[in-house]
Amino acid sequence: MTILAICLAALAFVLAVPVPRILKEAEFRSRSPWGAMLLWQAIALAGGISMVGAPMVYGLGPFGDSVPQAAGEVLKLMAAADFAALTDLGVHPGHIFALCFGVLLGGHLLLTLLLTYIRVLGQRRRHRDVVRLLSTPVDGNQAATLGRHLSLSPELIDAHVLEHEAPLAYCLPGRTNAGSVTVLSRGLLDQLSESELSAVVAHEKTHLQQRHHFLTMAFEAWYRALPWLPTTRHGRAAVTELTEMLADDGALQSHTRADLLRALALSSAGVEHADVRGQTATEAAEATPQGTMITTARLRRLLVPPQRLRRPALAGIVAIAAALVLIPSAALLLGA
Amino acid sequence: MATLGGLERSVMSLLWDSTEPLSANDVRDRLGEDLAVTTVLTVLSRLERKEMVRRERSTRPHRYSAVASREEHTVEMLNEVLGTAGDREAVLARFIGSIPDSEAATLRRLLQK
Repeated sequence: MTILAICLAALAFVLAVPVPRILKEAEFRSRSPWGAMLLWQAIALAGGISMVGAPMVYGLGPFGDSVPQAAGEVLKLMAAADFAALTDLGVHPGHIFALCFGVLLGGHLLLTLLLTYIRVLGQRRRHRDVVRLLSTPVDGNQAATLGRHLSLSPELIDAHVLEHEAPLAYCLPGRTNAGSVTVLSRGLLDQLSESELSAVVAHEKTHLQQRHHFLTMAFEAWYRALPWLPTTRHGRAAVTELTEMLADDGALQSHTRADLLRALALSSAGVEHADVRGQTATEAAEATPQGTMITTARLRRLLVPPQRLRRPALAGIVAIAAALVLIPSAALLLGA
Repeated sequence: MATLGGLERSVMSLLWDSTEPLSANDVRDRLGEDLAVTTVLTVLSRLERKEMVRRERSTRPHRYSAVASREEHTVEMLNEVLGTAGDREAVLARFIGSIPDSEAATLRRLLQK
């Protein structure tokens, strides 16, 4: 079992430090955002399993030959308060400490996930309430809200228009499609042409349809749980960027790259004029509405469409992701 | 008949524009619609639960006022939205500076209308 512990610890380290650094800059992510996303999710899961598993497996070492057997033995000894057995088995304080550390770390990760989920849901609901009161829904007020873009009202029927000069477009996911809100500002409607506006709305709708907030939520939680770890820091930003690329792809199915690029370029200008107080990215990121991150890679990808990854490469990625998650899990449940 | 959301918007708008706390009757009168006071009270209590409206219980009838102004709420929301957008113009400028000339020409062509 010590060997297993060492392997898990090595995996945890590799997934914690070098791998995220490489992956976040990897060129293939532009060519297959889905592939990169899958890998990130697998890294987070496998990283968590090995990070928690390594100390626990080491701590369980003296108690049995396999993890389930040793865990059962520990529980039995605890229930019987059999201290003599500890000496017989050769358990020393290091094992107990490692076991406790693993359990606490696992509990911390799960608890942070739960608390983040609850907190983000609450903040998002609050934001939705405020947005609904501050902005005007297009539905029922087409002429007043859309003005010269009136012909787009079928596409924009679910959106709300906020009377603000900063060009904004973002979406707030809800539990149901009816609960989601897409927000467009007056500044955006004034600056963009119809086709550009249509492209932006398609981008936001893709975020909602593909439920990107689920993909980013876990990484938000891991970041809050372990903010000093490179995986969580890079992972959160990387996954957010990937959801933007995926939403771009969704918009590009029915709009031109030119329209989307122009919309992005035009809506960048003027943002600095919005009246905002300083806030750290971490605080603001908690309830981040989807659709506000612009990166060089994303722009590059729109300007020069990347060559799609071919089947063998994609299959390789899926295989790696599956292996990352399945091998440590299997080792924990079956191995010795 | 206005939707509940529309009613909430109208009531909130009234409270934002008003210089003093209003009672449910005041709100009903000013809305100028054929509304029952009970409907207005329902809307007001929903807004209170959403922490957008504050109820003064010291007077009878109770009076209601907005917790924060329209502007304060707008800034609160913009912070959440723009907090992570970073300096988008800077990103754009950096991007334009980093691409090869041929791509910059393509970009210029795309951006012109």
